[in-house]
Amino acid sequence: MTVHNIRVGESKRGDASDGALTEAVGGRLSRVDGPAKITGAAKYAVEQQLEGLAYAVLVESTIASGKVRAIDTAIAEASPGVLQVLTPDTIISLRTASDWFGTPPPDKPYCPLARDITFSGQHVAAVVADTFEQAVAAAALVKVSYDETPAIVDLSDGKAGDGIPIDAMTKEWGDAPAAFAAAPVRICAAYNTPREYQAPMEPHGLIAHWQGDHLTVWEPSQWLDGMARTYAEWFEVPFENVRLVSPYIGGGFGSKALALSHSAVAASAAKMLGRPVKLVMTRPQTFTGYGGRAATRQTVTIGADRDGMIQSIVHRGVNETSIDGMWVEPLGSVTSIMYATPNFSSKQNVVRVNSVVPGAMRAPGENPSAFGIESAIDELAYEVGIDPLEIRLRNYAEQDPHTRKAWSTRQLREAFAAGAEHFGWSRRSPKPRSMRDGNQLIGWGVAAGTYPVRRAYGEAVVRILADGSVEVESSSIDMGQGTYTILAQTAAETVGVPADDVVVKLGDSRFARAGVSGGSRLAGVMTGAVHKAATSALDQLVGLAISDPRSPFHALQANTLVVAKGRIASPRGDGPDVSIAELLKSVGRDRIEATGDTMPANSTAEDRYKNYTTIAMALPHTEGDYSRYSWCAHFIEVRVDEDFGTVRVSRVVSALDSGRLYNPKLAESQWKGGIIMGIGQALLEEGIMDRRYGRIVNNNLADYLVPTNADIPDIEVISVGIPDLHSSALGGKGVGELGIVGVAPAIANAVFHATGKRVRDLPITLEKLI
Amino acid sequence: MTKIPVHLDINGQHHELQLEPRVTLLDALRERLGLTGTKKGCDHGQCGACTVHIDGERVLACLTLAAQAEGRAITTIEGLARAGELHPVQAAFLEQDAFQCGYCTPGQIMSAVACIREGHAGSDEEIREYMAGNLCRCGAYPHIVAAVRQAAQEFAS
Repeated sequence: MTVHNIRVGESKRGDASDGALTEAVGGRLSRVDGPAKITGAAKYAVEQQLEGLAYAVLVESTIASGKVRAIDTAIAEASPGVLQVLTPDTIISLRTASDWFGTPPPDKPYCPLARDITFSGQHVAAVVADTFEQAVAAAALVKVSYDETPAIVDLSDGKAGDGIPIDAMTKEWGDAPAAFAAAPVRICAAYNTPREYQAPMEPHGLIAHWQGDHLTVWEPSQWLDGMARTYAEWFEVPFENVRLVSPYIGGGFGSKALALSHSAVAASAAKMLGRPVKLVMTRPQTFTGYGGRAATRQTVTIGADRDGMIQSIVHRGVNETSIDGMWVEPLGSVTSIMYATPNFSSKQNVVRVNSVVPGAMRAPGENPSAFGIESAIDELAYEVGIDPLEIRLRNYAEQDPHTRKAWSTRQLREAFAAGAEHFGWSRRSPKPRSMRDGNQLIGWGVAAGTYPVRRAYGEAVVRILADGSVEVESSSIDMGQGTYTILAQTAAETVGVPADDVVVKLGDSRFARAGVSGGSRLAGVMTGAVHKAATSALDQLVGLAISDPRSPFHALQANTLVVAKGRIASPRGDGPDVSIAELLKSVGRDRIEATGDTMPANSTAEDRYKNYTTIAMALPHTEGDYSRYSWCAHFIEVRVDEDFGTVRVSRVVSALDSGRLYNPKLAESQWKGGIIMGIGQALLEEGIMDRRYGRIVNNNLADYLVPTNADIPDIEVISVGIPDLHSSALGGKGVGELGIVGVAPAIANAVFHATGKRVRDLPITLEKLI
Repeated sequence: MTKIPVHLDINGQHHELQLEPRVTLLDALRERLGLTGTKKGCDHGQCGACTVHIDGERVLACLTLAAQAEGRAITTIEGLARAGELHPVQAAFLEQDAFQCGYCTPGQIMSAVACIREGHAGSDEEIREYMAGNLCRCGAYPHIVAAVRQAAQEFAS
């Protein structure tokens, strides 16, 4: 069994000249998992080499609505190397599992292969064979016939209707309609975002291996314990019998937090066959095997006075969900907090369409919400003739307009100032179409973004080993956000050892439990847990050194000792100075181990299970006296070809408030990554529907356009955050989601400035400009 | 399907395999030889994650049958570092933080080595264009450009 294990010392230091500062929390230590990744040594989940591995390939529905009439498997079964063909009739029966809130499931069977078809691309069968090539060939020989019924293809389908009101999304104060009607300046516009896809470079997949009633699953996962719970419930085995292993994750962006139907198919096949089974989705299957970002529609109306002061915001939103699943993309999330307004109303419906149930994609809710409000306030700025930056400052929310609570920290004003200065905003010519370079129209746009600080309880094990090294264990994960690195830095600083002497082990559900890595919460949760565990280990170490009769410090009668650079000494330096290894040897210990968790003291085992396997115990970001958010401001330049309408982003300056950064080098990378995904959202990304079949036709990386290197200019990011101890133990707020929020409206606003055309329907493609 | 003998010369090591002719070089590397550093992102030549060198040129292993590579010199990411020393492009990727999840990274590095060798790393614009066949969904592009620029300058000096 491969367990991830990295020595920090294998990595090259960052670019700070002082090694100690680089290694401490807040230092620019290079990625400690980097050497494994750049040499090809990093084994991702489905790359484990197992004896007797069989390969499964999925067969998917070619209709969007109806019933499977029959599945003819005869030819496939007779195909060379085929071990089994699974259909709804032949696959073993599973039990329905609870959802991610831990809601007790209905007591009924669950079949991951569908008889009733509710979307195109639904799994209906699977072929398992000795080799991948044999399984692919045989899967093409499975013949499925259907009784087809009319599908609701998308939100614009005449059959879609107005949808279901989601009362929990309603936010209202004052009398927004009346204040709007009375306002001297009124704008009203509709903003649409299409279906978008996470498209991580590593496709979803897994290897499932049963040994008796114990299941091991190697699967890219943003949440080992949550997924282990799902497998345990499906197969009715104890939670402890399921082991998830996910040492590296090739990108998730929200899509790898749950065990999905393909996971159930592979684990069922492995159980039925008595062999380990590997199933990896094809790239086209990744567009329907799980949900991307739901398509959304918003109407934003703003009533303001002639100085641009907002009097009222009325917001109505709709997102699509599936026929039998529920996904709410909270469209009023930014609308309700970005600007001070005395009157506000936001409501939301969801509409059922024949789609896979949409899912979480980088900043679900905040991202499309910001596209609406941050476009609308730009429209207001032109309506009243005020600079788009100035109007944002005039309407600056000094407290959370919704809860009326104080912000824990809100460095948004500082973000506007720093971004504007670095971008050169003061040199902007206000009039649309007034800046050009040859046949290129130049536009400068600004928009703000935000994301709530999601908090949870965490747990970690820290060991001080006989050789003086420190080991950190957690079943949390690193999908590129830098968890390995920042936890090494946290343990090194807390215990007082070089980061080189810290080994961080993640990605195995046998380690100390961890909640979901999503919603930008993991770094804050885990640095807090590791800090607590490491502090406890350090206390034990110092306690031993002071009180154990065999310790060289015993005669010193000291109250405390200091540990630094792996050595123990008295604070005054008047006694012995020994290494941690020497101390442990002298007191006859081969290790010190501490488990630290940040759960409330009276938590039960049930609470702990619930905390790590569901999201039900997440702490509200508005708990207590404060409202906690990360903030950012994007300043973006576009160049639009006047003849062809092609838009290029030529310059980005973003200033961001994520509180304290645990490692600025890695945080900057994540911010830029979010901004780049936002450029894709603004200009390229869109699931295109074949309305005849209710099928996404551009379900591959050649036709679903994500940004390439040639699409992306230099990007400058500036940290304006300050430590926020209301948000996390060490003062950080969220990083991963923040960067994307506000990018699309900043680009749309820049395009308006360049061309005089307001595009309210993403992506901004050339036919919308010519 | 009848298997055929295929002789592959990978990172200076000779491998003899019995393969169906339809087996791609990518699947031969990953599923038969345990050389999983070369990644499968799309299997259709759209993402660049499977980039390897054949006779020194960058090639997509998912669009190459293993049999087509017979008798030619194949280099994968596992063969880039020499005697434990990182290749300058690898070192530059680490220093510039030119990756996050790491899944596209072997392909990016193999492309970057070839890009520099081809003489296509003369400016940032040129690097962006000639590295555009390797997708990175984490969005490490500006840092990839910086890493390629740095490595190209090291080679030039």
